Amino acid sequence: MRELRRYYLCVGLLLIWGLLLAGCGKEHRFVTKHTFKGTNNIVISFAAPVDESWARDSANYAVYEKSDPDILLKITGVTLSTDKKTVTLTFEDELNQQQHHILLMKEIMSGGRSQGTAIVTAKKLYFGYLLSILLGAMLIQNFVFTKYLGLCVFFGTSQKKSTAIGMGITFTIVMIFSSMMSWFLYQYVLKPFRLDFLQIVVFIGLVSLSVQAVDTILRKVNPLLFKAFGVFLVLVIANCIILAVPLILANNEYNAWESLMLATGAGTGFLIALFLMSSVRERLEIANIPPTYRGLPIAFVVAGLFALAFMGFSGMSIF
Amino acid sequence: MDPILVKLALGGMAVLGCIGLFFGIGLALAAHKFAVEVNPKIEEVKEILAGAQ
Repeated sequence: MRELRRYYLCVGLLLIWGLLLAGCGKEHRFVTKHTFKGTNNIVISFAAPVDESWARDSANYAVYEKSDPDILLKITGVTLSTDKKTVTLTFEDELNQQQHHILLMKEIMSGGRSQGTAIVTAKKLYFGYLLSILLGAMLIQNFVFTKYLGLCVFFGTSQKKSTAIGMGITFTIVMIFSSMMSWFLYQYVLKPFRLDFLQIVVFIGLVSLSVQAVDTILRKVNPLLFKAFGVFLVLVIANCIILAVPLILANNEYNAWESLMLATGAGTGFLIALFLMSSVRERLEIANIPPTYRGLPIAFVVAGLFALAFMGFSGMSIF
Repeated sequence: MDPILVKLALGGMAVLGCIGLFFGIGLALAAHKFAVEVNPKIEEVKEILAGAQ
């Protein structure tokens, strides 16, 4: 019985792993690599030598930024390497490498036969991109200090360091759990059935579902941790960051890894915000504050100052 | 009314109903499997106490 359970667990984990890998798999069987090079070049590698007449014709390529499909970027030159496997496209203007670029190649001809039309996305180095999503959600666009989300829980649980850390960790766990689930449901159920207008309803249900599930399982599996989480677990439902993240994931069409990074970043960003705020508020307890400002008003002032400090990160790009 | 919209609405109801049923059964099973035995005496004692506080 025990062996069987372990077997199920292994199969489940393998399935999840495969799904995650599928998120960053290859986009076309014939196009092996496509990256930015310099300020206005894109390099495309093919699996086999392509025909010179096809490769030299710049009308066979169409490149545009993912957000503006109407504006085709002007290609000034196409160079083919000596082994005919690599094509370098040169553009008139500098490429904005923060944006994903869609590359469309019509009817790739190789050895006189067509390999089909390829539509691939050129983006920057993948791990750097993932890290920039993580740090972006954590610091540069911290949900509390730059988007002013989740303030009720933020002010409610930042009076003591211990509660702040407890809330932050609980929140991060539930956040990762629920946003991965809602990403899956959005991509594989809501979108194919054209029900994306119901996303808010579904996401609210999923958040409360994951909170309830964590509550039930933790109560039995680890009662000590459950006691430490206490009331925070229920409070997570009342937080709007946990609803904002799935909506952002759905809007930006992130894949599994990117969603994981954004959820982790948002969770740890909230943890950082709570920790900073509670450190300050513990000191405010012993400070001599005018009676009108005591309690929440001074907390709002402090939060504003933190938001100002976090503005220093704005506009930064890491990679 | 537009038959496409009707189809969409009915399909949506079916899909969301299935999702709800699936997760509901999942939660119920989880609650059953991870049930924590609560001492019934706690409830009895609580009943007897005045309960003003």
